[in-house]
Amino acid sequence: MTITTDPDVIRHLSEVSVSVQIETADMTLNIGPQHPSTHGVLRLVAKVDGERAYDVQPVIGYMHRGYEKLAEVRTYPQVTALVNRIDWVSGFANEVPFMVAAERLMEIEVPERAQYIRLILSEMARISSHFVFMASYPLELGAATPLFFALRERERVLDLMESVTGGRFHPNFNRIGGVKPAAGSGSTQRKVVQDLPKGFLAETRVAMDEVLGAADQLEDLVAGNEIILARTKDIGVLPPEVAAAYGVSGPNLRASGVRYDIRKTDDYLPYDEFDFTVPVGENGDCWDRWYVRLAEIRESAKIIQQAIDGIPSGPLQAKVPKVIKVPSGEAYVAAENPKGEMGYYLVSDGGQGPYRLKIRSASFSNISFLPWILEGALVPDIIAIMGSLDFVLGDVDR
Amino acid sequence: MATPTIPGGGMLTGLKVTFTTMVKTLFLPKKHLKTVNYPVVKEEPHARARGVIALDQEACTVCMLCARQCPDWCIYIEGHKEEKQPDKPGGRVKVRAELDRFDIDYALCMYCGICVEVCPFDALFWSPDYEYSELAMGDMLHDKDRLQDWLTTVPDAPALET
Repeated sequence: MTITTDPDVIRHLSEVSVSVQIETADMTLNIGPQHPSTHGVLRLVAKVDGERAYDVQPVIGYMHRGYEKLAEVRTYPQVTALVNRIDWVSGFANEVPFMVAAERLMEIEVPERAQYIRLILSEMARISSHFVFMASYPLELGAATPLFFALRERERVLDLMESVTGGRFHPNFNRIGGVKPAAGSGSTQRKVVQDLPKGFLAETRVAMDEVLGAADQLEDLVAGNEIILARTKDIGVLPPEVAAAYGVSGPNLRASGVRYDIRKTDDYLPYDEFDFTVPVGENGDCWDRWYVRLAEIRESAKIIQQAIDGIPSGPLQAKVPKVIKVPSGEAYVAAENPKGEMGYYLVSDGGQGPYRLKIRSASFSNISFLPWILEGALVPDIIAIMGSLDFVLGDVDR
Repeated sequence: MATPTIPGGGMLTGLKVTFTTMVKTLFLPKKHLKTVNYPVVKEEPHARARGVIALDQEACTVCMLCARQCPDWCIYIEGHKEEKQPDKPGGRVKVRAELDRFDIDYALCMYCGICVEVCPFDALFWSPDYEYSELAMGDMLHDKDRLQDWLTTVPDAPALET
């Protein structure tokens, strides 16, 4: 091969224009299984054409721990320890619907004080779960500062929960018929009643004021930020009819403008005694999902303050036999968890443990429309949309 | 919601929050600093915190209830029967269960507290102590003497509301 140095030829060559249609292959992009924005291990297989993703398929199952099957070989007190590990960000709220399902089968009337304690701690679980979202979502979009503000207040709430239940993350405080009445069954420990520790109510009231202050701080930090607004406004719009078709629940559904809240429609806890509103969004975009959760933190703090005012005195536990056997039958109880509708379909054959326990977890339905909403989305928007759904992989895979 | 009127106004609002928090934490650290310098300063855990399980060997009767109820079978108990001769002639021979082995594998334990709850003889207690990390996984298995040592760290039950 000879290299031409003739200037005329070179000038001629530089004027040749190529008009060939270049065939490009679609690139298959794996997002995950380990990715900072997935709160666990979720894998997305996306076909990427330039900057846009098509045919995105979520691959789940990396966190499967077999809780439904495990519950069949466990007794009811042991299942309590399992269910608060499903959605580990809001452990206490997972226990309540399972307990209510068993209590409805056993026809037990739970004492009022126990119901109030359940309600206060469930709402605290909601606040701490939403604070995790408030911390992680801006972080996924590149803003690190809100993380410290949100986690600071979350730690305060978890600390209060620990003073009551003994566990920050896994309270294991509910018992069939009420809340944990005593530390043990021996002759001296039976007297160590696990009522609220002294000063808890006063401290919680102060903490809820701080939570409301932190919500204002977070709003100042994030809500006006032009970069965050540009990343989230009109991104990942979920119309209400699509949300309903996929069984989306919780703040993700309410952000689309559907005013559906199980706290208002069911009586698993005495929510009807409190005055609170259900915040809804307008557009169903990522921004609304952020804003609805911030509004829910405020509502939850107000519910807790009302519950502290009206908490009755009385026993913590209804009369239950020492060996718990649930009469045969079936019950479905759904609760409004921080992530959405969390339901337990409990089938009992009269034994010491469930015959079958179907767990309807909120996050599983909340990510089932990912292929629909990510069709044609920009690759950076995948992270923005996924983060805004606030799912926990333990809740998806159980 | 603060609607920014000037370009970058929203970011300035955010920076105001960051700046005031920084000034507060710098000048009033006692009131506004929320973290502790862990190995030097230690937080007092709550009396109810489920840190480690303490064993009272004297109270244990080797009934195995805790080992059977444990959801992940992390309690290992062995014992034998010991005959106690009567003090005076003609008395009955008493049989007493002696505890040979009581191990809790904290590498497996999920800190649910079912063993403490089912113990009918007040032999197991929760202690809020948490400083027992090990370099090797096998060292997380605490034998009965180590579990007995934790008994000194068990606090009194906290005072109750109402």
